[in-house]
Amino acid sequence: MKKTTITLLAALSLSSTASFAEYPSKDLQGVIMWGAGGSTDTVMRSIAPHVEDALGQDIILTNKSGGVGAISMKYVNKKKADGYTLLMGAENPQMHKVLGLSNLDYSDMIPISILARGTPMIMARNDAPYDTMQEFIDYTKANPGKVKIGSTGKGGLTSIVLAMLESQVKLDYISIPYKGDGPALTALQGGAIDVMPAVLGAAIEQIKAGRMKAISTVDVERNELLPDVAPITDTLPEMKSYLPWGPFFGVFVKKGTPDEAVQKLSAAFKEAPFKPDFVDLMEKRGFTIMNYTGEEARYFLDAYRSTSSWLVYNAGFSKFSPEKFGIKKPE
Amino acid sequence: MDAFTYFAMSWLSPELLGLTALGTFLGIYVGAIPGLSVTMAVSILISFTFSWDVNYALCLMVGVYMGGVYGGSRTAILLNIPGAPSAIATALDGYPLAKKGLAGEAIGLSTVMSVVGGFVGIIVLALAAPTVSEFAITFQPRDYMMLGILGIMLVGSLSGNSLARGIFAGALGLLIGTVGLDPMTADERFTFGVIELWDGINPVAVMIGMFGISEALHQLHHMNKAVVKQKIARIIPKWSDIKKYMPLSLQTSFIGVIVGALPGTGGDIAALMAYDHAKRTTKNPKVPFGQGAKEGLIAPEAANNAAVGGAYIPMLTLGIPGDAVTAVFIGALFIHGLNPGPLLLLEQPHMFWFTVGNLTLANIFVLIFGLTGIKLFSKIVECPKGILIPLIFLLSIVGAYAINNAIIDIWWMLAFGVFGYFMRLYGFPVGPVILGVILSSLTDENWRRAILTERGSVSDLFINTLQSPLSATLFSIIVLILVSQTPLWTKWLKPKLFRR
Repeated sequence: MKKTTITLLAALSLSSTASFAEYPSKDLQGVIMWGAGGSTDTVMRSIAPHVEDALGQDIILTNKSGGVGAISMKYVNKKKADGYTLLMGAENPQMHKVLGLSNLDYSDMIPISILARGTPMIMARNDAPYDTMQEFIDYTKANPGKVKIGSTGKGGLTSIVLAMLESQVKLDYISIPYKGDGPALTALQGGAIDVMPAVLGAAIEQIKAGRMKAISTVDVERNELLPDVAPITDTLPEMKSYLPWGPFFGVFVKKGTPDEAVQKLSAAFKEAPFKPDFVDLMEKRGFTIMNYTGEEARYFLDAYRSTSSWLVYNAGFSKFSPEKFGIKKPE
Repeated sequence: MDAFTYFAMSWLSPELLGLTALGTFLGIYVGAIPGLSVTMAVSILISFTFSWDVNYALCLMVGVYMGGVYGGSRTAILLNIPGAPSAIATALDGYPLAKKGLAGEAIGLSTVMSVVGGFVGIIVLALAAPTVSEFAITFQPRDYMMLGILGIMLVGSLSGNSLARGIFAGALGLLIGTVGLDPMTADERFTFGVIELWDGINPVAVMIGMFGISEALHQLHHMNKAVVKQKIARIIPKWSDIKKYMPLSLQTSFIGVIVGALPGTGGDIAALMAYDHAKRTTKNPKVPFGQGAKEGLIAPEAANNAAVGGAYIPMLTLGIPGDAVTAVFIGALFIHGLNPGPLLLLEQPHMFWFTVGNLTLANIFVLIFGLTGIKLFSKIVECPKGILIPLIFLLSIVGAYAINNAIIDIWWMLAFGVFGYFMRLYGFPVGPVILGVILSSLTDENWRRAILTERGSVSDLFINTLQSPLSATLFSIIVLILVSQTPLWTKWLKPKLFRR
């Protein structure tokens, strides 16, 4: 009896190694970190068909939102490390450790591809009495406790941009949290808030239509889509140490996934972002295509985590010191 | 007449016509199965229609949306399991009608009134979209908070015999709704360190359990009772009935359009408010509400389908989604290379009238598909209990799993099912619990945003409320509703003022 079990096991393990030569031999599951209709969802649903072509297998996409991304992280890490479950996520988990939200971040996974990066902007209500970063700072200083700035909760893009700002200039404002940049930008148009830092892609159409104004690009240079808006470093040159910084979209697999699978996936994802419709989508939404894989992706992820973690730590709203997790100070 | 050409686009092309019909048909069934949501179906269709022409994809998705919102009423009437939160109010009077053997008539009437509501939504979209969307985005956090309070006051309408028990159930629902990460500070509330609880307990799981499972368990008490024979002679409602209920369904349709157009609220709240409106304004219902009043069936059905047109208003004019489904539509437009936003209608002038034409077409298909097959569906209620009860369990379990592909939702659903059963047994209404769960975060978040805006000063909040015409109106409505129920008014002022 025991013998047969061993033979069976041996046969099973043999067959599983054999099948790996032909990875992928079945459908893949793509777990999208955020809900249907969001920007992560849009990016992943438009890249997936191209990757399917390259792999010759379908990717079944499911949205597993919740827990600021921690639920999808946990879910994928519970699955087998066989390369058949992909995590299609955004930047959020990189802050989970210092914020005390979860003990997993992307350093615990293998990056397949960092697809693209967004540029943060600072938007203001159309009839706000300031048009540039300097005017905004002056106005806020002259009217302490009057300006209402929207946010998307701790660790979100807004909180990090505000932490960067805080490190340069002390401002007294009211912070009003929303469930995402969509609802907050709606509130901006309705006058419920005055200023909202958000990713360019979420606001570009409204800016073009003149329904809100961009007062600054949180970057070291001007953005092609909005050449008239000055980068924040023109007003606050010290900000250079943090920039360029921005939210990103990436695809990951569980640690321990066989090399063949990682390689095949990376190769498939490396080609896909060159497809004209994807390039077009990214340009229109103001995202910069990165297409980083391997070491390059790892380096980018570490840099993001280090900058953001120390920023929130110094701003005083992290739960733990980044040192606890061996996160180095940014150089 | 460019507008007319675009409007007729999907009517004249056989492919577009066929896809709209197919979408509507699929939508009705997706909507009818609890847990399978229209949002989910539409996002699956995005991947499926990725390589299609955008017009083809939109026809299919618009059909699914229109059909799906209507479909939620099917299981609500037949099995007491609302297919979606927007059909909760439908179950309150629809299911009692089915128990009386009037399932066919109930479905027929709800179909016709859904279509009426759908048309009102489309007409407002076509004629007043820019005005309505500019109005909708001026809603401040304090206004959403007051909408939430107005919603919570519906407890009075959902309580049945004992208001105290209704308030208890509603408060319990509000408490259940607070589970999860605090939306303002991301602190954990009642999560006991469990990540799965961060997003709270899914209202749909609570809904399926409280309505479906608790009813199935309750049925076990009456295993020997003979099933009610369904009267299926009359399915298409009488003309006199349609005429009689038309004013009510038009009023509730307008509630539906406005609440649907608000970016922070959707068809579920619209339907509940419509139910409340029906109950308040119907002086002498033939049958009491909660026991199969037709008014209670019509109002939410007209409102939730009107909310579809409403949700499109901010989406098409401003690129702001009116609900979760239109948010997915915005994603779909991006993927197809369009730029949904305030400039969409300048860059793609055909999009507006094409969508209006499409919605109209889908609404007509709702009428056609809705009125066919009713006889067959009514038979479901005649099924022997030995078959029906396991069927309800199966449907509830599949539905709960489908919400988020998570096993935990099945456990929540079952737990609330058992809990709901005991609540019924001891005469506590379950409706207010769901009401509380749905309205909890709306009220909580917006109250805190409102008070943050005033830097914690209640008096400033009060002053600003009275200075804004919109807030002042909402505030007066709340005060009037409260005062009209107090002894001061009912016992003393009313007899004096209206003495004749």
